[in-house]
Amino acid sequence: MYISRLYIYMFPRAYITQNWQHIHHLGLSRNTTRLPCLDRMAGKQNDLAEALVRSGLRAELMPQHVALVLDGNRRWAQARGFTTPEGHEAGGVALRKIVELSCAFGIRAVTVFGFSQENFRRPQASSHSSIRSMISVLTEEVDYIMELIERLIRDNMDLFMREEIQVHVVGDPSRRPASLQDAAREAEEMTRSHSRYHLILAICYSGRWDIVQACRELATKVQDKLLRPDDIDESMLAGHLATNVLGDQLGCPDLLIRTSGELRLSNFLLWQSAYSELYFTDTLWPDFGEDEYIKALKAFQSRERRFGQRKVM
Amino acid sequence: MSRPAIILKLILGLLWVIIHLTISLFNLWSLLIYNLQCYLISSGLLRKYQYLHLDRLNYLAIVVDSKEAKNTVKIRQLLSWLSTMGVKHICLYDIEGVLKRSFEPFMNGSKDEKARESLDIGASMNHSHYGYKNMVIDCLSGSDGKEGIAKAADLLCSTYFNGETHGNGKKEPKFTEADMASALKAVGCGGPEPDLLLMYGPARCHLGFPAWRLRYTEIMHMGPLKSMKYGAIVKALYNFSQKYQNYGKLLGFSTLNCSPAKSMNSF
Repeated sequence: MYISRLYIYMFPRAYITQNWQHIHHLGLSRNTTRLPCLDRMAGKQNDLAEALVRSGLRAELMPQHVALVLDGNRRWAQARGFTTPEGHEAGGVALRKIVELSCAFGIRAVTVFGFSQENFRRPQASSHSSIRSMISVLTEEVDYIMELIERLIRDNMDLFMREEIQVHVVGDPSRRPASLQDAAREAEEMTRSHSRYHLILAICYSGRWDIVQACRELATKVQDKLLRPDDIDESMLAGHLATNVLGDQLGCPDLLIRTSGELRLSNFLLWQSAYSELYFTDTLWPDFGEDEYIKALKAFQSRERRFGQRKVM
Repeated sequence: MSRPAIILKLILGLLWVIIHLTISLFNLWSLLIYNLQCYLISSGLLRKYQYLHLDRLNYLAIVVDSKEAKNTVKIRQLLSWLSTMGVKHICLYDIEGVLKRSFEPFMNGSKDEKARESLDIGASMNHSHYGYKNMVIDCLSGSDGKEGIAKAADLLCSTYFNGETHGNGKKEPKFTEADMASALKAVGCGGPEPDLLLMYGPARCHLGFPAWRLRYTEIMHMGPLKSMKYGAIVKALYNFSQKYQNYGKLLGFSTLNCSPAKSMNSF
């Protein structure tokens, strides 16, 4: 016992490679079957166990749904003398890594705040030439980010297929360019049969928009006489929110992580985050890697979380 | 077991204890530093915390875990401190309504019309002057949160449905955020968006504080209510006063011209 604990602290990787058979205490055993699919599942379970033992996390306390606010790409680029597009590209790389880690840790759902509706806002139009040029520059940035998100979706299809991740894209579709719409639709179609993990990309999303669109759906049902206005309650409204694609069990994030030191939700998952552990870190998003993720998960696991009787979504 | 193995086991056990002890000492040291800082702030020895610029703090929300909210002595002490610091408008929230029930007997029903108008407070908010100097206090509970939004949705749908039964043909409902805000006011769940929200409790979550009002609220976790410190609150208010908010707007791409952007956040 002393040897294994010391190894975890001082030589985590050596422990994993030399003593991995001790992982059976987590309820897993070496699979001796010859069936490839079971070998693959056993392999994944062993990967999960290895990842958890390595990090000191407890499997039974792992959050099922993690939400991420990816903030700080621009500051990261500034600090290193890079351009902002390079910062956003680095952010994309970090996102892929975190999604892979989430699968390795057995986190069933990850929701990512990719682009806010507030990000569309422009300074007031004016005849002043500097304002007009700023508007033009902002339009370029918005277009670039949309194109980057589209590219990220397409370039990571291999990850989605390999890890059996179902992709959902939520947000106001009317504000997304057509090519991004197509990429989102294709990703959703190709991953529709996956049920192991879920990735929600919130693009052109806002928490208030989510609540209002849920009201619109309910009003449409009232109009079609599928329900009466009096029937509308918390759970019915919650059932029509964008994150309802995950169902009741996974709809609300257990942990919400925001990087770059900002301490606010910025109109993200306002309804769904009622009982989410809020973890704010000064680390900029492109630097948010395995160590930072483990820190966030450990902070989640160390909290005493009690919610009395009000556990509705 | 052979002697070398026993010795090795003992050495490793000793090393393990040393590692744990080191980590515990580090945590203790961090706690001591924090307590010392709070003491220094409370005693006014740290100059930068002496003068709080609370111009941007129009509305402060305090979220308390319902179990801890039963400690009304601590709540009153907290309100007294905040009054001393110059906070003008506070919202107390706990999900089960403990604070509403605890403070209800003391509500005198007086209303500050100027504050309501300037902060766009809903028609039927409960608030009163508690005897804390120039401070207006609101008490909210879970019924003002998700339940309130559900009531507002009910009202919107009823209004829309009643309009449709008298109209010609079906139209797609076109609710906007402004419609929802109006509906929330109409059902008594309107109110200003807090600039800062302080959470007291074991978990770092807002426990269902009215979601509609949380868009850009700075959120700070203060720990358990029983161990609240004056210095910690001063530090939180000071840190808030140093914050920059761009409210989600992108502020410049700089990128394609390869010059550094002056802005900070994309959210």
